[in-house]
Parts: sequence; structure tokens; C-alpha cells
Amino acid sequence: MAALLSVQNLRAAYRLANGVELHAVDDVSIDLREGEVLGVVGESGCGKSTLATILALNAAPPLYVKSGTMQVQGRHADLTESDPLPRSERGKLISTLPQSAMNAMNPTTRVRDLAYDVLRAHERTTRKAAWGRAGARLEQLGLPTRVLERYPHELSGGMRQRVITVISTLLDPTILIADEPTSALDVSSQRAVVEMLKDLLARKIISGVLFITHDLPLLRHIADRVAVMYAGKVAELGPTERVINTPEHPYARALVGSILVPEPHIRAARVLGIPGSPPDLAAMPKGCRFHPRCPLADTRSREEVPPLVEVGDSGSHFAACWRTLEARQLLAGNLVGGPDGRVG
Amino acid sequence: MIRSLFGNGRFRLSFSLIALIVVTALVGPRLDDRNPLFAVGGRYDEPSSQIWLGTDAIGNDVFLQLMHGLGTSLYIGLVAGVVATLIGVAIGTLSGYIGGLLDEILMGFTNILITVPTIVILVLLSVALQNRSTLLLGVIIGVTSWPWTARAVRAQTSSLKTREHVDVAKLSGAGTFGVIMREILPYMMSYVVMAFVLQLSSGVLNEAGLSLLGLGPSQSISLGKMLQSALQGEALRTGAYWAILPQTILLSVIAFSLLLLQSSLDEFFNPRLRRR
Amino acid sequence: MNPFGRYLLNKLFWYLLAFVAAMALNFFLPRLIPGNPVDAIVSQMAQGGGASGEAMQRVYDTYIVEFGLDKSPLEQFISYLGNLFRGDLGTSLGNYPTSVNSLIGAALPWTLALQLPTILLGWILGNILGALAAYKGGWVDRGAFLGSLAFSSIPYYGLAILLLYTFAVALPWFPTGGAYGFASSPSWTWGFIADAFRHYLLPFLSLLLVVIGGQAIGMRSMAIYELGADYVGYERSLGLREPRIVRGIFRNAMLPQITGLALSIGALAGGALITEIVFSYPGLGTVLFDAIRQNDYPVIQGVTMLITVAVLAANFLVDLTYGLIDPRIRTAHGAGA
Repeated sequence: MAALLSVQNLRAAYRLANGVELHAVDDVSIDLREGEVLGVVGESGCGKSTLATILALNAAPPLYVKSGTMQVQGRHADLTESDPLPRSERGKLISTLPQSAMNAMNPTTRVRDLAYDVLRAHERTTRKAAWGRAGARLEQLGLPTRVLERYPHELSGGMRQRVITVISTLLDPTILIADEPTSALDVSSQRAVVEMLKDLLARKIISGVLFITHDLPLLRHIADRVAVMYAGKVAELGPTERVINTPEHPYARALVGSILVPEPHIRAARVLGIPGSPPDLAAMPKGCRFHPRCPLADTRSREEVPPLVEVGDSGSHFAACWRTLEARQLLAGNLVGGPDGRVG
Repeated sequence: MIRSLFGNGRFRLSFSLIALIVVTALVGPRLDDRNPLFAVGGRYDEPSSQIWLGTDAIGNDVFLQLMHGLGTSLYIGLVAGVVATLIGVAIGTLSGYIGGLLDEILMGFTNILITVPTIVILVLLSVALQNRSTLLLGVIIGVTSWPWTARAVRAQTSSLKTREHVDVAKLSGAGTFGVIMREILPYMMSYVVMAFVLQLSSGVLNEAGLSLLGLGPSQSISLGKMLQSALQGEALRTGAYWAILPQTILLSVIAFSLLLLQSSLDEFFNPRLRRR
Repeated sequence: MNPFGRYLLNKLFWYLLAFVAAMALNFFLPRLIPGNPVDAIVSQMAQGGGASGEAMQRVYDTYIVEFGLDKSPLEQFISYLGNLFRGDLGTSLGNYPTSVNSLIGAALPWTLALQLPTILLGWILGNILGALAAYKGGWVDRGAFLGSLAFSSIPYYGLAILLLYTFAVALPWFPTGGAYGFASSPSWTWGFIADAFRHYLLPFLSLLLVVIGGQAIGMRSMAIYELGADYVGYERSLGLREPRIVRGIFRNAMLPQITGLALSIGALAGGALITEIVFSYPGLGTVLFDAIRQNDYPVIQGVTMLITVAVLAANFLVDLTYGLIDPRIRTAHGAGA
């Protein structure tokens, strides 16, 4: 299937005042397919929000993109540039759905004026026409049109997040980067936002969603595929059910094991089953970044960085772990009669 | 921490200026034990090798007066700053920590004092107190300028009092005073220091303002009183710049360096103010 | 009640309280002087030897009655309030028998002419400068910030004296003081207006620069704060045009600046009084200065009263405007007012 969005070799770092660089995202490559929701999950500090910021084209000092390219619908963009996409494409090709609508909306701007500003930035329109379009979109998605008259502080938290979802997709963007859009909401509001995103996909208003969250159980309801990030790298990537049911990377296994309790409404945000804590970005361990906390780590894990390689038979499940790779090679060797270079 | 503070150019500049001023105020009067209120020459004698900055309208040595006046001005500013900071911190912490009705009353009082122009209260108080020593003048200025500090300290306190360590101290039986002294104040020392610097600066300037209105310290010479006598003696219009510019410039430099110090401290303690 | 009404009523209550407090200070503080103020004044006048004994006695009797010193403090306060509300500020001691009203009336236009334009223009220019510094950054910011810091930290009278010396004494371009030349008298002729303008420019400029500096510093830090706000990033990623985003930022940064204006009016009033003294400008500051020198309590009280009322009224107006402009107050539903 053709990739809607293709990100290659993204590296980015925060430069501190004392000159130290914190590599928050290190050599990440990700594809987003037509019509899919790709979930990105990990503990706080794993680089998922940095990834979202960069893809939403919002990287600003002290965050610097060191390398990385992006392809959207045949358009090529160099992410290291200060403006990877021209202003006219922002919000149309790639749009963003932020975590807190309260902070993301100017407190002294009415919803209708924000909608007008968004539409007017991309096409010739009148105030009336813009309000009409925003109103129609709100109705289509089951929201009352009277919210147009409101200031952000006049809306409830859940309503505000749904309204900003409408604003973010007003220009029918190809791709929506959703950065923890439900993290600050109660369960029923979370569901409403998730349903709204599914609705937007079904209506082909948007063609793909990159859904960033620390909430793995939530991804079960919305994501087609999941990428598990650890310390700035993708540890595992695969179809949601496979990653959750048969995780291959020891970190993903621990994450799933600690979070996925039978009752889906009990969601522990912390990774309980893994001793230790994520590495300090300023002093990254050599080799596999998870090795200090990994029960399976061996010499190779401590010395060499494992590549993200295929671990399933479907051609869609990948993990970055030497031990997993070894196990599969052994298995393949036993079956076929000798190790070969199929993986690489 | 101290080293990175000195890495800030604005801090270095303001700190050096202030150190220079303070040393001058401390050492200056000791170099020359003549009475600054004793005439040494005629009306507006020009600067010479004996009288470095000439004489004023009644023949006083301007340089000698400047050395003594600087100390008086700084002393009044210091008293005003200490008084204002003490009152402001006391009212602000009590108001913010105890809250409720006490908070309403104290902050209502504070806001009233903020709205009534300071100059009005200063003038009325100074008029009522006919004999003003330098200490009394400092106290007068201090008791009229604490409301700003109280407001800022109250805001800090009400955000600090929800911290975990405050709860722990309360649970282990510490009293209100103990919690404020040990669990709240130490955590906002940077704000208190900055507020004090501002109060010090406004204290020095207010002394000069009052002196200009004829309400300066009764028996001493200060920068403000030097300004006033120079203005009354028409020093500018007779071209006797030496009798008026030195104290004007000195006052401006004191105010500028204190404000610069405050702004560099502010930027240091609140990284949010730094540009991203 | 609607939120705006509640906001207004709350403000009105506090201003009334502040007003009463100021009036009480105004009444009681001068009465702290040991003995009775009339004795002090009359004995001083006698030392000056200006007036005859008979005249002195007349002044004395007038003041005992006027101050109502034969009555109880409470009665005195009530009659003082009554006089105030009738707009009667009493009679000057120093310029007997001129009324305080006419002394202040003559000075007020000059003070207003000096203060109103400096406040408004200084506020507008200062905000533009601060916004520009925050938005442009780099050397524009550094220059504007240090300049503003210098001008706002220099005391009013300091800048006044420096300007006066530079542009009226060292370079004799402007007159050294007063509101108009000795040769002319106030009239609506072009000659007089031009003369008054020449006298006006330096005091005006010295106040204006200080106001600009103070407002620019406040606006700069507010705007830097707003520039880093989340909504700026969101709006950029939606492709909004930069001028639209900037407009929103500055509208938000402006709101606290309106309150800042209210708070600086009091300080400005004080600073302007002293600036008038430096320039011998015939406004309220000069009247106050003369009154203090002569222990002319009725005039001192009249001037401080007027300043208080004007500053409180200006503050209230600013608060009113703020409530009308900020949607968070205008349309607050429920608790957040």
C-alpha cells in the first residue's frame, strides 16, 4: 500500500544553554498509510511528543532537527529547514491536533473568528461564508453550531477538545498529527474525540492520523498499527493486535504486560513491571538503549545498536532487539537448515 | 549558581556599579572630615583643584556634600527598603498562607493603599511630622511603599502552600509561624531579594522626590536636598552645572543599576522570561 | 447579576473605600501636628513680620472658625466632608484671602495639559516599542530594552534636569522654565500659543520618555510571554498568516498593559508634580511646593485631595475599559470573573 506520509531518518535534539545536546529523537523512520491510524506510544520522555512537534512543523529553538526528510503525497520536504512546507500547505497537507485546547486557542478569540482566520489563510472567503462552512462541519460531526459564538473559556473541556478537532480538520487536511489529544479528558470525552476522528476518516475528510499517546489501551480502539518508542528510537512497530498480543521487544512486552489489565477502564500510566527508569537523554547508554533495564541483555546488546528489523511473517511486524533477532534466526535455521541473510 | 549569575553581562555591570557606589558612600566621608554644611567659598565658585566640583549657592563644597549626601540617601533607601520588605513579606505570607477572611481584609487594605497615590500619603505624613530624622524619613517611605511587595509575596505564598513539603511540615505539628519561616520563606527568597532591590531603588528616589518638595530630612545633607537647594538657588539657569548635575547623574545611575540588577536577577530566577 | 455588572460593582466598592481612606488621611494627618495648626501658622507669619497685629488676629479668628477647632474631631470631619462635597476647599493661608479653589483652578489646566497627553501618547508609543522589541528580537530588542530601562529608571526629575540643562542652558534652544514668556500673557493668539508650545516641549518630552520607557518594558515581557504560548504554535501549524497571529498576540499582551496603565497613573501624577517644579511650570506641583514652604495646609490638603480624586477616577475608568475589552470578564459564565 502506498505511504501517505513517509518520514526518513529523523534526528532531533534540544540544545541547552550550556551547549549540551539532548537527542530526543534518534534516527526514526515511519510510514503512515492511506486511511490508517498509526499509534505512537511510550513513556514520557521517549521522544514521541518531540516527534509530533516536528511533524506538525512546529520545531523551534531550543529544538533542532539534525536530519530527516518527509514525503507527503509525492511532495518532498527537508525537515531540517526552518519552514519545511510553505505556509499555504500547513494545515492543509498536514494539520495538528494539540493536547490542550485551552492553551491552543487564543483566549480572546471566539471560535468563529479562529475558523475564519484558518479558512481565510488558505482561500478567498468572506466572514459569513467561513462561519457557514464551520457551522456545517460542526453539524455534520454532531456538534451544536452555537459554539461558534463562544470564547474558549465558555466551553467545557470535552467540548473544547471536540471543537478544536473540528478547527484542526476544517481545511480537510491529508494527515492529522494528534499529540495526546485525549490525555487531559475524562473517559466519555476521550471516547467522543476518538469517535470523531474515526468519523472524519470514514467521511474521508482526513486520510490518515498519527496518534501520539502514552495510553496503550486507548490505541486498541483506534489505531491500525502501533509504534512503541523508547529513548528516542522506535523499539517495535506492527499491527495493533499483534503488538499487544505478541510483543517482540522486551520493552514492549513489559509495557504491554504492565498496562494491559483485563478491565480496559483501569489504565495505569506508569510502566510498573520494568525496574529502573528511562535513560538520561544527556548520557545515553551504548548499544541498545534499553539494555540497563533489560533482563535479556547480553554483550552485543551492550555494545551495538540493534536495527529495526522484521520479526513476523506478515511483513508488517518489526522490532529492534538483538535477542529477538537471534531467537528468530535460530528458529528459522532449525526449520530451513542454516542461518541465512533473509533478515537485514 | 554564583558563577552562572556572573556570566550574565547585565548582572556584572549592575553589580560593579552598585559595589562602586556603596564603597564610595562608605569610604568617601572618611577621606575628609570637614563638615559638609560649612561654607568654603562664595556663591557658585567654579570647580578648581582645591574644590573639585565647585561650590553651591551658599558656598558649600559640592564634592564634600556629594560624598556625605550619597551615604544619607543610601541609608534612607536602605531603611525604606528593609521596612517595606518586612511589612510586605509579613502581610503577604500571612494573607496568602492563612487565606479566608484575613486574606480578604489584608488584601483589601493593600489594594486601597496601592490605589491612593503614594506621593499623597508621603506628603501628608511628612507634613504632619515636622521634625524628620533620616531614620524617620526612611520609615515613612517604607510604610507607604510595601503594598507591591505584599501583593507579590502573597501570590507566591498561595502557590507555595500547596506543595508537599508544606503538608508534611503541617502534619508533623509545625505551627503557622514555623511553616512560614521554614517551609515558605526559604522557597521564595529570590523573589524577596528582587522585591527588596526594587524597594531600595524607589526608597532612594522617593527621598529625593520628597526633598524636592521641601520635605527632606531635617538636619542632614542628602542627594535630594542637594538637588532641591540647587534648584531653588537657580543653579541651572545661572549655568552652575557643577552644583546640580553630579547629584542628578548619581541618582540616575543608582536607580538604573538597581533596576538592571533586578531585571538580571529576574531573568536568572525565571527562565521563562528568557527568549526561546 | 451579569458578570460584568458584578465586576463593576466590586471595583466601585473598593474605589469608594480607597476614597474614604484617602479623605480620612487627608483630614487627620495634618491634625497630628503638635498644638493647633493655626497657632503654628500664625506664629510663623508673625515671625515673618509681614502683617500687623490686627490683621493677624483676623486671620487667627478666621481659621479657628474655618478649621472648626472649637468643635469635636468628629464634627470637624463631618463639616470637612460637607465642604468637600460642596466643592469648597477653603482659603489659602499663604495667599490670604485667595480661595484654594481659585489657586488650584488657575494651576489645573497647565497640569492637565502636561499629564493627559503624556499618559496617552506615552502608553501608545511605549506599547508599540515594547511589542516591536519582543517580536523583532536581536539588536532591536537589546537596544529598545536597554534604552527603555534607562529612561524608565531615571527619576522624572533626573531626566527633567538633564533635558533642561542640555537643551535650555548648554544649547539655548528652549526657554529655561515657566509656561510662557514674561512678555506675553495668556490669550488665544498664535504668538502666545507658539510661545507656550516652546515652553511646553521640554517638560512634555521629559515625562513622555519616562512613560514610554516604563510601558515598553512591561509590554516587552508580556509579549515575549505570549509569543511562547501554545496557541501561537497551533496557529502557525494551521498556516495562519503571520500578521493575524501577531495581532492576536499583541491584543493579549495589551490587556495586562491596560491594568499597568492604571497602576502607573498614580506614580506619574507624583512624578509630574516634581517635573513641574524643575521647569517652574505653573501647575499643581508648583502650587504644592509653594504651599509646603509656607505651611499652607488648606492648599496642601486641597492639592492632595484633588490628586487622589483624579487618580482614583482615572483608575476606575481604566478598570471599566478593561472589563469592557476582556472577554473573560465580559462573558465569564459561572465562577471565573
